[in-house]
Amino acid sequence: MKKRVGLLLAIMTAFVMLVMPLGNTTHAQAADNSLEKIQKKGVLVMGTSPDYPPYEFQATVNGKSTVVGMDVQIGKKVAKDLGVKLKIKSMSFDSLLVALQTGKVDMIISGMNPTPARRKNVSFTHTYYQGGYDIVINKTDKAKYKNKDSFGGGTLGAQTGTTQYNAAKSQTKNTTVKGMTSQSDLILALQSHKLDGVAMEKPSAEAYVSNNKQLAAIPSDFNMSSSATSSAIAFRKGSTSLVNKVNKTVDQIKKENLVKKDYLPAAGKYLKTNTVNTSMTHYWKAFLTGIEYTLIITVCSVFFGFIIGIILALARMARGNFFKNLLRWVATAYVEFIRGTPMMVQVMFVYFGLGLFVNLPALTSGIIAISLNSGAYVAEYIRGGINSVDVGQTEAARSLGMSNGKTMRYVILPQALKNIWPSLGNEFITLIKDSSIVSIIGVTELIYQSNIVRSDTYRGVAPIVVIMVLYFILTFTASRILNYFERKMQHA
Amino acid sequence: MPKPVIEVEKLAKSFGDNQVLKDITEQVNPGEVIVVIGPSGGGKSTFLRCLNLLETPTSGKVAFEGHDLTTLDTKSVNSLREKMGMVFQGFNLFPNMTVLENIKLAPMKVKNTDDASATKRAHELLQRVGLDDHADAFPDSLSGGQAQRVAIARALAMDPEVLLFDEPTSALDPEMVGEVLNVMQELAKEGMTMVVVTHEMGFAKSVGDRIWFMADGYIQENNTPEAFFANPETDRAKDFLSKILM
Repeated sequence: MKKRVGLLLAIMTAFVMLVMPLGNTTHAQAADNSLEKIQKKGVLVMGTSPDYPPYEFQATVNGKSTVVGMDVQIGKKVAKDLGVKLKIKSMSFDSLLVALQTGKVDMIISGMNPTPARRKNVSFTHTYYQGGYDIVINKTDKAKYKNKDSFGGGTLGAQTGTTQYNAAKSQTKNTTVKGMTSQSDLILALQSHKLDGVAMEKPSAEAYVSNNKQLAAIPSDFNMSSSATSSAIAFRKGSTSLVNKVNKTVDQIKKENLVKKDYLPAAGKYLKTNTVNTSMTHYWKAFLTGIEYTLIITVCSVFFGFIIGIILALARMARGNFFKNLLRWVATAYVEFIRGTPMMVQVMFVYFGLGLFVNLPALTSGIIAISLNSGAYVAEYIRGGINSVDVGQTEAARSLGMSNGKTMRYVILPQALKNIWPSLGNEFITLIKDSSIVSIIGVTELIYQSNIVRSDTYRGVAPIVVIMVLYFILTFTASRILNYFERKMQHA
Repeated sequence: MPKPVIEVEKLAKSFGDNQVLKDITEQVNPGEVIVVIGPSGGGKSTFLRCLNLLETPTSGKVAFEGHDLTTLDTKSVNSLREKMGMVFQGFNLFPNMTVLENIKLAPMKVKNTDDASATKRAHELLQRVGLDDHADAFPDSLSGGQAQRVAIARALAMDPEVLLFDEPTSALDPEMVGEVLNVMQELAKEGMTMVVVTHEMGFAKSVGDRIWFMADGYIQENNTPEAFFANPETDRAKDFLSKILM
């Protein structure tokens, strides 16, 4: 069962709690109208992390990449019983709880198990599925390993922060446990013999084994409480009416054994269609979307980052009265703060943090975060560029009666820009690569798309090679274009 | 007696502990050519730069046409600067613009002159300094003498009442000094009010109406060129002249 409690999640949850205490208490006291609200809205937004077959994963349906899997079937049934439409929002598992608390999604169905810690923050329905754990090994080692106790002196892998990761750590002896974030990376490590076995959920293990003839699954024999191996649907804390209603659906699913009878076989079918054609050219559309979004993010961020950069640079050079000094101080603090915090945290802060006040789509949030980040760096380049222009230029312009602003705009900045053009170009190319960070909030840029292709095809390396080449083509083209303009500016 | 264009009263300027200008009270009348000479480090350039407030005086008053610049707001100072053109030792042409664009920039951006009339005026000024055939050249392709003539044309484009020259020929090769001085002489003949900081004694003698001899932060002598060069009054001036005239 996925039970990651990553540091980021902790930070974001702490943040939400800091900002939201007022909202939360009034929520709890107000009459619970969660059910009514959803039915009035007519749409139920389901958050999920589609990298976990057969629970949820991406498959090409009618030529379009779609989230499928048994959790999606459950989501559809829930929505149908509520009489509303289902909308699926993909994001990383780490982000799901925060997304629920900040209202980005209405519910989470993502193989999430109802641990006591989670129960404190969200309301769970009854469990809809009871799983268990297998260990996937290389088929050639089948004679060597029987269960979790056979790996003495060897190395076991598991998804970081999951229940199986903790179990592998606490329930084995003399065994090194290595954590990775992605299931496909783990399998890759297994096949290249960096790991001897990978602990994962039974359905996932079965999916991998049936799609890859070099792999085999053995029982893990982890000692587990049933709550650690079950999955439930999460709603916002205190949505009692909604949870009660959905519980009826869950009970019916269990009673009629729909998961084993209908949902898992259907998911299996998608897994098969997925793996019919695993050539990279078959997925050109996915990569094209990736390139498209990477370019959109980069170009927008460069544009806005540049404007922010100029404003910040000028603010940092303001001097004189109290107001100007204050402006300088604020701009300096901003630049230092942005440069001193990871861009990943900034992206999450904009998406979830600002999301409390305005509901920004992931793409917009990503562009805002990267522009704000890039602006801080560009500001420093521009400041250096302005300082590099001879003071005589300012004096000449001022002696002609030009104001400070006009001097800056018509005389200093054009020369400063020419001087810093190579650095700006560098920033542009860096952004092409750094834009990959918004994949964590589910923007379908290159990295995100390649992860989808990887989990779709069960091929670990090929998509990486493809995007490596694609990124290089993008950056190389960009640097050629920048060189062209640099040559054009050579005069002067 | 006409009203003075520039009045300086008890002007003082310090950089940190270094007091460069101590106590200067002088006037410049319309049409006058003032030549400021004196030993290096005597405060000549600082004095000139105080006249259009490129340096802010530490104390004292600098008035242009009756307005005390030191008490005015930035905007008014900007508009008074239009009337005081300045030519620098290092030309300070804008390297990213052609000669023509250098001259047109301020009229178009400050006075909002339209492009056609600014271009026409720029060509006139370039003809006047003998460089109209270089209108589309970039500054880095000009010789020093040509660059300084363009700088003069650029200053003239704002139709200033006064031109300030800060050692305009000091950065030039000797054979180019003449072409720049000729342009300045022409301007003087046409009645332009000028304050010139220079080491060109020939120019001072033939073109200057008055010589201000500056040393140690004071204007030590204020006299006609004839009187100054024939009979310097202070020892400081005698010493200076003996060194440069041999």
